[in-house]
Amino acid sequence: MAGFVPPVRTALVTGGLLAALAAVATAGLQLGAGSLDDPQHGAIFLELRALRFGAAVLAGSGLAAGGVLVQGLFRNPLASPSILGTTAGASLGGQLVLLLQGSFIVGVRPEMLLSLGSVGGAFMALLVLLALLRRGADRVTLLLTGFVLSTLLVAAGSFVVSVAQAQHELGRAVVAFTLGGLGGVGWSQVTLAAPLVAFGLVAAWSWSGPLDLLLSGETEAAALGVDVIRARRWIVVWVAILTAAGVALGGNVAFVGLVVPHALRRIVGAEHRRLIPLAALGGGVFLAGCDVVARLVPTRAEMPLGVVTGLIGAPLFLWLLRKTVMR
Amino acid sequence: MSLEAREVTVRRGGREVLVDVSLDVEAGAVTGVLGPNGAGKSSLLLALLGALPDGLAKGEVTLEGRPLADWSAGERAQRVAYVPQVTELTAPLSVRSVVNMGRRATSGWAPWSSLGRDAVVDEAMARTDVTGLAERRFDALSGGEQRRVLLARALATEARVVLLDEPAASLDVGHALALYGRLRELARDGYAVVVVLHDLDDALRFTDRALLLEGGAAVAMGPTSAVITPERIEVVYGVTMQTDAGLRFEESG
Repeated sequence: MAGFVPPVRTALVTGGLLAALAAVATAGLQLGAGSLDDPQHGAIFLELRALRFGAAVLAGSGLAAGGVLVQGLFRNPLASPSILGTTAGASLGGQLVLLLQGSFIVGVRPEMLLSLGSVGGAFMALLVLLALLRRGADRVTLLLTGFVLSTLLVAAGSFVVSVAQAQHELGRAVVAFTLGGLGGVGWSQVTLAAPLVAFGLVAAWSWSGPLDLLLSGETEAAALGVDVIRARRWIVVWVAILTAAGVALGGNVAFVGLVVPHALRRIVGAEHRRLIPLAALGGGVFLAGCDVVARLVPTRAEMPLGVVTGLIGAPLFLWLLRKTVMR
Repeated sequence: MSLEAREVTVRRGGREVLVDVSLDVEAGAVTGVLGPNGAGKSSLLLALLGALPDGLAKGEVTLEGRPLADWSAGERAQRVAYVPQVTELTAPLSVRSVVNMGRRATSGWAPWSSLGRDAVVDEAMARTDVTGLAERRFDALSGGEQRRVLLARALATEARVVLLDEPAASLDVGHALALYGRLRELARDGYAVVVVLHDLDDALRFTDRALLLEGGAAVAMGPTSAVITPERIEVVYGVTMQTDAGLRFEESG
């Protein structure tokens, strides 16, 4: 029987993902409306596409790494970062900013408002969760609280969407944000999100050890030296930071945080020191690839990114599930 | 190395599952914790581990004279190891990675620590005869193999107190004998071994001392042969103990 040697598999998968990243980068920079050879606008097209590619990689990395953390924390390979409510919080924050059109905030560049709203929304949801964790909520209570919080914030978001429909342009903008997309991404959003993703990834990676031990359940993890309550609290913070950055860049993009970690765990194993960086890379490749597809599909307006990730991610996930069941 | 429970009371789900139980865990001996289902055996083990979700209702557990709660989780893990009856670990991990988990509290929490080969891990794996499984997936092993890997993980902590919850449950007779043989070896090497058991025959053969629990209370504590007597077994388990042609139990009445 062939051995299960994660380092070898990790090297192979890393090589494959880097090659895929290069291919997606090439396609992302070349494809789209307008030619790079245009003497007047070529440089601008290139800059916009590079920004968009960078934003896709950052958002995908953040969401996929967030997915690894929640799947490890809940010992459930089917958990998605949205399960804690921070994604819905980020989404609601962005929707509210659009609805109020930033009329209440002065001194902030308008294009930053949406991203700041998302980050603020995620952190508000995080504060509620942390307040509950202070009382030492167990894993199931945390899961249920996150679920209820998420449901509440999604309902509030739907309310915002319905109110926004009163004005045609505003309604379109709110729906477009809700469905996810990287069409209007600019330097300011990337500048805001990049440090959050970088910090979140390093912080999450540095908690690989406790995350590994938590896979054995809380009693065994505690017996092996994990301060379970402290670990759970910090992991929730890293999830909030990573998902806030992801939503701030690309809106509420479904499935990245679910499919990518699940698929990679099957290949390279569950050790987090390998899985977190690989999921970040894989999430970046997946989302940047989906963004290229979104630009290529011939529809009147550009296809929303959240629709593409769902259309590609859901069948992929079903295929993975089928393989798991048949194994 | 001393681990001691003093008049410990544990409340779970609104009722007392352990009442005023004391146990002094001795180095160089295998201590059996016996009793019928629901006697509080596993609760006592969790109390000794400091892993009860709601802590102790009364009493105290001390490690080297200091209350268990005063030790950090990492310090405790280097002194008291635990082998669960059933692990919740189902993630795809290699056997070596699982045994490596036992090194975390000692080697540090940084992702790059315990990356290389560790002599303590190698020794723990050799001692429990799982070296040949190092590159196999833990979740694909048989129950008996998993149990050996979990014992290796416990030994990799270098803790000198090892608590085991029904380690032979669901093992065939050969694997169970081998496992108890290993526990006896550990005791010979100076480890303090505490093992929750159901099988009284195994208790008589492989433990030096025993604590018999019933309904959360201690019925007897001492050398195993003195604890397991026909009178006590009839009272606690409701069965008649026959010792004339080997140990045999029959329903009373």
